[in-house]
Amino acid sequence: MDFATLGGNLFGTIPFGDIVLYLTPFNLFLFAILLVFTIIIAISNTETQVEATFGSLKNTNVTVGKKEFKQRRILSIICGIASAGAMITGDLFNFTLFMALVGILNIGIVSSVKQVSVLDSAFNYGLIAMMCSLPLFGGAAIILAATGTLSLSILSSMPASPMVIFGAVLILLGVLGESGVAPFFASKAEMFRTAGSPFLVIIHLSSLFIIIRAVEILLLVLL
Amino acid sequence: MILVPTHVPEAFVSMYLPSIYAALIVGFIATMAIASKRREIHILILTDVVGFAMIMVVAAVGTDLAEALILPGLVVELAEIMAISEILLSREMHKIEANPHKKLKKSDSLLPMPFDFDLEIMHTSPNFIALLLIAYGIFLTGFTGGAVAGAGLIIYILSRKARGLPAITIAGLGGVSGISWCLWIIGFALLFLVPGYWLIGLLLAACGLLLKVASKIGLIGAIMKEDIDRE
Repeated sequence: MDFATLGGNLFGTIPFGDIVLYLTPFNLFLFAILLVFTIIIAISNTETQVEATFGSLKNTNVTVGKKEFKQRRILSIICGIASAGAMITGDLFNFTLFMALVGILNIGIVSSVKQVSVLDSAFNYGLIAMMCSLPLFGGAAIILAATGTLSLSILSSMPASPMVIFGAVLILLGVLGESGVAPFFASKAEMFRTAGSPFLVIIHLSSLFIIIRAVEILLLVLL
Repeated sequence: MILVPTHVPEAFVSMYLPSIYAALIVGFIATMAIASKRREIHILILTDVVGFAMIMVVAAVGTDLAEALILPGLVVELAEIMAISEILLSREMHKIEANPHKKLKKSDSLLPMPFDFDLEIMHTSPNFIALLLIAYGIFLTGFTGGAVAGAGLIIYILSRKARGLPAITIAGLGGVSGISWCLWIIGFALLFLVPGYWLIGLLLAACGLLLKVASKIGLIGAIMKEDIDRE
């Protein structure tokens, strides 16, 4: 499918050799929104969870320490920039790399929490993310082998062969696993159950946006 | 559409599909193994096997572009496995922090071994042997040297344990590993930027690799602790 059909008017392309960045309203909108969210997250403070304790009238505050706060902030900023990069990239392999980077950063954001259950689910999510790098990168490599290019602008004008369809299905599988949706949502949902909301939200936001972008890329490659 | 140049032999071209199948089978076997294993250290290692299957799929393409894709793929794999093992470690730390008065188990030391290591020779000669191995490892440099020097480190730690001395905690191991990584990268870059100085680049890379392999033992020891507690 053509860029213009999916994303509106083509504003222009930025060619870096084989990698051609293309600017459509759709991609620019996603890119800008993610950057705005990243800035909001970068300048905001964390929340404090107040938990009722059983057997007494006291409350316990689950706060985020300063060191933990700094670590999470830098990781969530990088996570936002990585997902913004995935929105604008014109190269299939770059997209998969951004996706994998977002997966690693998601683990990193929760790695400094103190709740053992959160760390447990982060560990499980990390395992799934690592296993899903096989279909993710493998799909991109199969598309490269079948068409000889990874540039989305060339791939969008090519008819899809059975091998390309197989590669696209693998990429979809990989994106689903890496972003922790579809069959693997349980461990991802458990990762959120801790204090420090604005930084945790980027975990959610990045996977949402990347799914949208993955759908666009699959349509470009297949149709 | 055939994109393969005519001077490429037919044997190479026909190897693509078998290698894809091989990689998918490796991935399948590894995921089946993960499904049947319940110990976390095994799951971690088997997950790395799935990662290698990914490298196989990328490498099967066999062009220079694929070669350029293997490196980021490998780096991503490494970063992921390091992040996961870091999670595992910090979870253990929090478990200990939450319950510091709990009597530390026998396996909480650096080298939990089920059998007795109290041999006569452990009391007399190990320091000298360890020194010899480390010196020989530094002389060898590179991957082999790293393994030899690592064996020297292990012998030193074992002997301290056997003599009842506290086994040293290697806190700076991560730092050493990072420095060695930098050395390796600088050596690698020198080979491309100033090929005239290839010898110094080679030496830098070899020394980096030596430190890297030698320092790996610490990480393995730290992760092993987790699973031995379960038995």
